[in-house]
Parts: sequence; structure tokens; C-alpha cells
Amino acid sequence: MRIERREEISKIVLYSLPFLSILASLIFVGILLWFVGVNPIEAYYIMLIRTFGSKLGLSELFVKSTPLILTGLAVAIPMRAGLWNIGAEGQLYMGAFIASFVALNFASPFAIPIMFVLAAIFGAAWAFIPAILKAKFELNEIISTLLLNYVAIYWVEYLVYGPMRGKNVYNFPYSDLFPECATLPRFFDTRLHLGVIIAFLIVFIMYLTFRKTSFGFSVNVVGANPRAAEYAGIDRKKIIVYTMLIGGAIAGIAGMEEISGIHHRLRAAISPGYGYAGIPISLLAKGNILAIILSAMLFGFLYVGGSALQTTYSIPIAVVYIFQSLVVLFIIGGEFFVRYRVVR
Amino acid sequence: MIEFIVSLLQASIRAGTPLLYATLGEMITEKSGILNLGVEGLMIMGAMSGFALSFITGNPWIGILAGGFAGLILAFIHGFFSITLKVDQTVSGLMLVLLGLGLSGLIGKSYIGMVANYIDPIAIPLLSSLPILGKILFTQDLLVYSSLLITVFIWFILHKTSFGLSIIAAGENPEAADTAGINVDLVRYICLLVGGFLIGVGGAYLSLAYAKLWTEGMTAGRGWICLALVIFSGWIPQRAVIGAYLFGGLDVLSFKLQAIGFTIPYQLLKMIPYIATILVLLLSLIKDKHRLKAPSALGKPYFRGER
Repeated sequence: MRIERREEISKIVLYSLPFLSILASLIFVGILLWFVGVNPIEAYYIMLIRTFGSKLGLSELFVKSTPLILTGLAVAIPMRAGLWNIGAEGQLYMGAFIASFVALNFASPFAIPIMFVLAAIFGAAWAFIPAILKAKFELNEIISTLLLNYVAIYWVEYLVYGPMRGKNVYNFPYSDLFPECATLPRFFDTRLHLGVIIAFLIVFIMYLTFRKTSFGFSVNVVGANPRAAEYAGIDRKKIIVYTMLIGGAIAGIAGMEEISGIHHRLRAAISPGYGYAGIPISLLAKGNILAIILSAMLFGFLYVGGSALQTTYSIPIAVVYIFQSLVVLFIIGGEFFVRYRVVR
Repeated sequence: MIEFIVSLLQASIRAGTPLLYATLGEMITEKSGILNLGVEGLMIMGAMSGFALSFITGNPWIGILAGGFAGLILAFIHGFFSITLKVDQTVSGLMLVLLGLGLSGLIGKSYIGMVANYIDPIAIPLLSSLPILGKILFTQDLLVYSSLLITVFIWFILHKTSFGLSIIAAGENPEAADTAGINVDLVRYICLLVGGFLIGVGGAYLSLAYAKLWTEGMTAGRGWICLALVIFSGWIPQRAVIGAYLFGGLDVLSFKLQAIGFTIPYQLLKMIPYIATILVLLLSLIKDKHRLKAPSALGKPYFRGER
């Protein structure tokens, strides 16, 4: 038995693969739900109706997709240069931390723009550590970015239990509420906030950057063929650092938007794994920047539906992780069988 | 003071044992040329399955076995993708982490806050009454003792048997191994599955002997620390023991320091192992000689002939 490359690759199958994979994952998760005593059809019905059945549900879809779009980008941009940023979660927390610090100490009409800029800088700084270690010492960025997540999360936890704990929070691990000038404006009586629009704007800017600039071109070359990049005189180390900085900055902005648009205070557990979700989101989009919107919306639906399941059946939100991993595994497995065949 | 150090060292060994199992498991996997980044996912599934099975059967040893098999099953998924289909090992490994975290969270939910039967320490007669050393080394549980035997056993297999030679060949130069008549895919599957079993046992040790409870996400990055420990130990089994106990020590240090009245906030102490891991990795890379010990074909799929 051996494996050989197919002469003709069916384009229809290749393009429908993501949808087939989503379907297969839904079936698989359905079986799991049934296994833990939940009627899967009822569960999926609840997920759909809670997301698409009301103005509130639809707005929540955009609210939850927003950080996912940003973390998806935070993973996808370094990925274009062949790097794995598993640290979007920590970069998000660092952005949230500095944004809260500004909001609570420097209330002014300029609070929001300052929070944006500093969140981007702190997210980028957090990503700079693994980037420089990778560029200088070839230290595996998967391990270093991931480990720094724990440090950032414990840092925020330390702050809300200690120096940044609020005066009026009855001993809860929260900071005080932000003044109004430090919260993002909301629309339509929902939680839809200005950050949603900004996230889409950032996608568009990144799309142009990678489509139209020589920097974008260099990144693509480094990712596709590091040796060719070397011959073309592209400094691989610079690209490593720059793409990680951009990724970190975008994840930091995601943290600022969550804190300033949704929570209005610093607290532990800001993110139910948005940073980690960025990985399958980016993989599903295959590094295509515009496609990240679509794949983030799919995962946004899972988070909205997942929290509906959480309140209805008290199923942990972790079920979203199962779905995320299955989609990607089905796609990479499926692609193999599209491109190759087994011959006896 | 001596009492403090003795209890710290004793606890370090216990906290280091899950790390030792998982590090050894990943090490033999990598020795054969397969990079399994899913350690965290395998460990958490091991922890959950072990706890659940001990709870259901009342026998913690069945729990430990179940943990091992949970790790083995996830490792098999990785094998299907990375060995049979030869797709990107990074993607499939990372997805195993998410899969393990998700599955353990979903299935394990009903076991949160439950009490199961645990693995108890056994004082070895005579040896345990030695001053100082007796308490540190010889009042541990069977799995601590067996982890040391397994370390020696892995060293023996790798360096003294022809199968060990096949493993090293598969990891260093699969083409040459293939030419020499070694079934590279089979060797890699065996290492991956045995390694997955050990990683799962490490997870089960965490819930059944160390923490003595199950909570969602309880591995808290230990799987990633183990990936770093493999590099730190330069793919040498004996060195994994040192690395694992060192990080076990860092893990318990925060509790122990608080117990004797240190006032450094708990969350800041909890950061230490993660920062230390990065520093240790950095040191291993700067010294450079360790880098050379990574199996040459690590993480590269092996295609037999043209494809």
C-alpha cells in the first residue's frame, strides 16, 4: 500500500472542504453532547435561535467576533512569515492591563485614543520578548509565546486582587468601573461598541499592507521560502520581529476593546480563550486576511451559541475548543485525501 | 530550617513526577523524529480520565492506566496525521491541545469537586528511617519509584538495544534507516504511542497523587514546560529527572514560602515556573551544544521514495 499524488485535484471538493469539515465537526460534537446527556438537535436549535433569532443575539455575534477577528489577525500575520504566535491570549491581557491603568488614573477626553495606542504598544512589547529570542537565539516561539500567556494572566490576576482592586467592589477581584470618557460608545441599546468597527478597519488596513506594500511582499517571501528571502536580500530576523510586533499590537488592542467596550473594568478571566481561538481561526482562513472575518464570525457564533448552551445545560464553554480543533483536523485530513490517493 | 528543606525536597519530587513522566514520554517520541506539541492536551485528558476511572471503579491504579490510555489515544490521532498522512506536525499537535482541553472540560465537568481514591505514599522499610534522605526519597508512592526505573529503562532501550538504535536512526536519518530495513513509520508509531501513554500517566498522577482532585485546566501549562524540559535535558533521560524535580521544586516553592509566612503575593510566585522555563531554554540554546543533540529529522515527515 502506498500513497501517490492525484493527477487532477477536484477544485469543487477542495473549496467545499471547509464546509464539509464544519459539518463533520458539528456531527462529531453532536455525538459528544448526546454522550453527556444533551439532545444535540435541541442544543443546535438553541445555538441558532439564540444567535440569529433576535437583535440581541445578532449583536452578540458581532461583539464576540470582534476579539476573535483581532486575535485571528494576531496569529495570521506572524504565520505569514512562518511564525507561530500562540501568545495572543497574553498579549490581549497586557493590552487590557495598560488600558485599565490609563482609564482609572488619567481620565480625560483623550483617554480612548491613549488607551488604544498604549494597549497596542504593550501587546507588541509582550510579543517582542519571544520575537527577539527567536531572532537572536532561535528559541522556539511556540513554547515562549505560550508560557508568557500564563505570566500575563497571573499579572492581571495579581493586580485585581492587589494594587488595582477597586474601592467599591465588595471584595470581588475587580477594579473600579471606568469613568465614562474611558468606555467605548455603544449602539442600538446593545453591547455593540465602537471597537467592532475598528476591528473591521484593522482588517482592511492589514489587507492593504499585505497586498500593496513591499513589506507585505517581504513577509510573504520569508514565510514561503526563507532561503529565497535570503538571496533576495530580505532580513529574515527583522521580518520575524516586525510581524510579531504587529501581531502583538493587534492582540493588545483586542484586550483594550474587551475591557473598554464590554467589561468597563479590569478583572481576571477577561477572555474565554480568544487568544487560543486565533490559531484555528487563522488556520481556517489559510492566512488570507479577508477570510479571517468569515472564520472569526463562525467562531463568534460558536461562542455565542456556546454560552447559550452554558446557561441552558451548564455545559462548559470548553466545548468550543473541541469544535475548533476538530474543524482544523478534518480540514488537514480532508486536504490530504483531495491531493493524494492510496494505491494498493 | 532543615525540616523546611526536607519537606520542600520531598514535595518537589512529588510535584516533579508528573513532569518526569510527560518529559520522558515526549523525549522518546522526539527521539524517533516525531514532534508531539500536544503534551498539554494529553496530560489534561490523562488527569481527567484517571480521576474519572478511579472515581467509578474505586481503584486508583485503574485510573492511572486509564490516564495512560487516554494519552495513547490522543497520541494515535497525532500519529494518524503526522505519520500516516504526513501533514504538518505543528498543526496537529496544537489541535490536540485544544481537543484535550475541550474534551476534558466537557466530560470532566461532573467530576469537579468529587472525591476519588488516590495513590498513597509507601514508606520503604529500613530505608525510610534513614535520617533526612529517608523522608525525601523513600516515603514516596510507587509511581515515583517506577518513574525512576522507567528512566533507566528508556536509557537502556535507547543505548543498549537494537530497537533503540532503530529509534535513533528513525529520528536522525530516516532515509538511511529505511535503507537498512527499518520500518520507520512503525518505529515512530511505537514511540509515539508509548510516549503518549507515559504523558497520560503523568496527567493521571497529577489528579490522583499530587493534587488529589480534578479541576478544569488543572495541568496549567505543565505540558509546555515538559516540552521545554526535553530540550533542557538535551534528549538524555537521566537529565530529565533533574529538570523535572527542579521544576517540581519551583511549583511547590510558592506554597511552601507562604506556609512559613512569606508575604510575596501568590500570583507573582505562580509566574516563576513559566519565566524560569524560558530562561532555562535560553541557557540551553546559548550553550549551543544541546541544540546539536536534537534529533536531526525532528518534526519532519518522512516520505518513502517519491510522492
